[in-house]
Amino acid sequence: MLLECMMNGHAILYTGVVLAFWSTILVVGICYTIFDLGFRFDVAWFLTETSPFMWANLGIGLAISLSVVGAAWGIYVTGSSIIGGGVKAPRIKTKNLVSIIFCEAVAIYGIIMAIVISNMAEQFSGTTPETIGARNYQAGYSMFGAGLTVGFSNLFCGICVGIVGSGAALADAQNASLFVKILIVEIFGSAIGLFGVIVAILQTSKVKMGD
Amino acid sequence: MAPAETGPSISAVVAAVLGLLCLLNTGQCDEQVPLLMWTSEGVSVPHQSSPVAGHIIGQQQLAFYLEKALDIGPRNVVLFFQDKLSIEDFTLYGGVFGNKQDSVFPNLEGALRAASSPLVLPSVAWPASSAVIGQLQDQLDTSPLYMDPETLSQLRLNASSPALLVFRLPYSIGADLLSAKEVLSGNDEVIGQVLSIMKSQSVPYTAIYTGLRPSRESVSLSTETVPGGGRSLLQARGGYREREREQERQRKMNERAGIYAPVEFKKEDRTCLLLWAKSLSVSILRSGRWEDHDLTSSTFGEGAQLQLHGSACDKDKGRLVLNYENVLGHRSFKLIFAMSQRLHKVSARRWFTLDSVQLEYDGIKATFNGSRSIYAPAEYSYRCESVTNFRWPLLIPRSSKDPSNQWRVSFEDFQIQGFNVTGSDFSYASDCSGFFSPGIWMGLMTSLLLVLVLTYGLHMIMQLCTMDRFDDPKGPAISVPQTE
Repeated sequence: MLLECMMNGHAILYTGVVLAFWSTILVVGICYTIFDLGFRFDVAWFLTETSPFMWANLGIGLAISLSVVGAAWGIYVTGSSIIGGGVKAPRIKTKNLVSIIFCEAVAIYGIIMAIVISNMAEQFSGTTPETIGARNYQAGYSMFGAGLTVGFSNLFCGICVGIVGSGAALADAQNASLFVKILIVEIFGSAIGLFGVIVAILQTSKVKMGD
Repeated sequence: MAPAETGPSISAVVAAVLGLLCLLNTGQCDEQVPLLMWTSEGVSVPHQSSPVAGHIIGQQQLAFYLEKALDIGPRNVVLFFQDKLSIEDFTLYGGVFGNKQDSVFPNLEGALRAASSPLVLPSVAWPASSAVIGQLQDQLDTSPLYMDPETLSQLRLNASSPALLVFRLPYSIGADLLSAKEVLSGNDEVIGQVLSIMKSQSVPYTAIYTGLRPSRESVSLSTETVPGGGRSLLQARGGYREREREQERQRKMNERAGIYAPVEFKKEDRTCLLLWAKSLSVSILRSGRWEDHDLTSSTFGEGAQLQLHGSACDKDKGRLVLNYENVLGHRSFKLIFAMSQRLHKVSARRWFTLDSVQLEYDGIKATFNGSRSIYAPAEYSYRCESVTNFRWPLLIPRSSKDPSNQWRVSFEDFQIQGFNVTGSDFSYASDCSGFFSPGIWMGLMTSLLLVLVLTYGLHMIMQLCTMDRFDDPKGPAISVPQTE
């Protein structure tokens, strides 16, 4: 019944979005072809004319929001398991808060990176690609990349830690000696979030925006 | 010494085109020009019936009138062709309100009074009136001679052979009405001189006074609404609405008159380089002030005699040189456009670029680079609404020490083509502004991201279902006791 509940609404939503996207692409592509305006399709123009500020701020936004999604997902999975298991085995509730903390750490990585990246955004006074300069473009793209890196790593890290933590809580409810071993799995899961943070720091180490 | 033909002659084809333009601009077809025709003293011609009041004479009817007059009357025609003329000029400046002493047309009135049967056509449709030279040319079977009073005094006329003498009279577009009065007075003097010279030669002639286009919109046939409904005949002139409307009319007529051909450079009879702009101006910074010079009229249009010395065109390189004189105090001034085309491997297409726009004067060269932003596929022309070096600049000075840093160049509605020119028209114009601006793209990208986020959120919300594992529709209803 749960599956049925999912199918109808989702089918409509996803069909609609996919249809809209591909039909736009198709119509635009056909117009470019039949009017022989293929020369106007210029990716370089798009990359140089869009403002580095847009890229930088998208990076900052994605850093925090994707991390928070990961953390939230993890916490809700783990939390439900701990609360459910704690009904029959109340001793698990204190020990298993560690799983919650691992998930929360992912959100903290996200906000720290967002603050670090946003501190690098400075004003510059150019308006054309020549006057903006390569350095500002590099800064914009690096900040976008760093935000994407930390965001997606933390997203999957959070989900991973959440599902492992949920399993840990339920195993702990059955047999108290299992918890410590499962914690090691969680630590490995948490490390991948840290990798994302390290790479993002490396990406933004050379960023110098401004005049 | 035979006087040379100067100035263009308006053929019937142009009149037809103007008529078509008139038809397309509906609402402006009600423009007329008066036409006065009289013969010299002592020549009697039968009286032609004047048209009914309010009737607008078309091209056919005008031809009929002229034919009738020239069949019987003298076949030496003196045509006074004023740039602009309307019946309102006579009303305003003819001293018609009892103030004959203020009239600016004493010679004209004297001639009309002395003629035996003058013909007055108050409303000849505008495209027809501009074709009058062509019609006279056809009927007299002779080409028009453009003259002024000095050249006329040297001409020997013959009563038997037909001649068409055209005198172009100016009409300035002064913002204040006083200058129009002076101009009309001057024109009347010219008419007087010409008529007296003709009289001294004792050759009978037919004289026609008309205009190339109307000087102002016709008052009585105006259909523009005015609050209060309609216009009264004695509405005072010079009201602000009147002035506004007149300025609008002048502007529209000037704009319409600003349809001109592009600058063409031909090599071996084949057009090679084309350039067009709605306006072209240069400015120089001298002692802290910008001095402008508008080069549009000396580059485009029928009156401009533009020299293209030094221009060259090739399969891969093109160079258009516009030579001017006396621009901003420089005797010789050149504007040079250098273009080149080559194959670009990544796009597998030939592209052409406007490499530089150079100003050369007094041996100094001020260069602007344009290759960064002014480019188009080699088969097409490049067109941009505004090509300047100061306002959304597409032209960049070559270096920070180049003399071009003190210049400002501005082209409005600029179009250029240097390669693959077929005929003498531009190919498809690749515009400098695309369909989506950078701002639109950024907005679309961000919106797409937000739509994805929304989709994901909706996905999550829709997978929430109420827990129904322990539902038992047949069991007792849940009761929550209030007390312990």
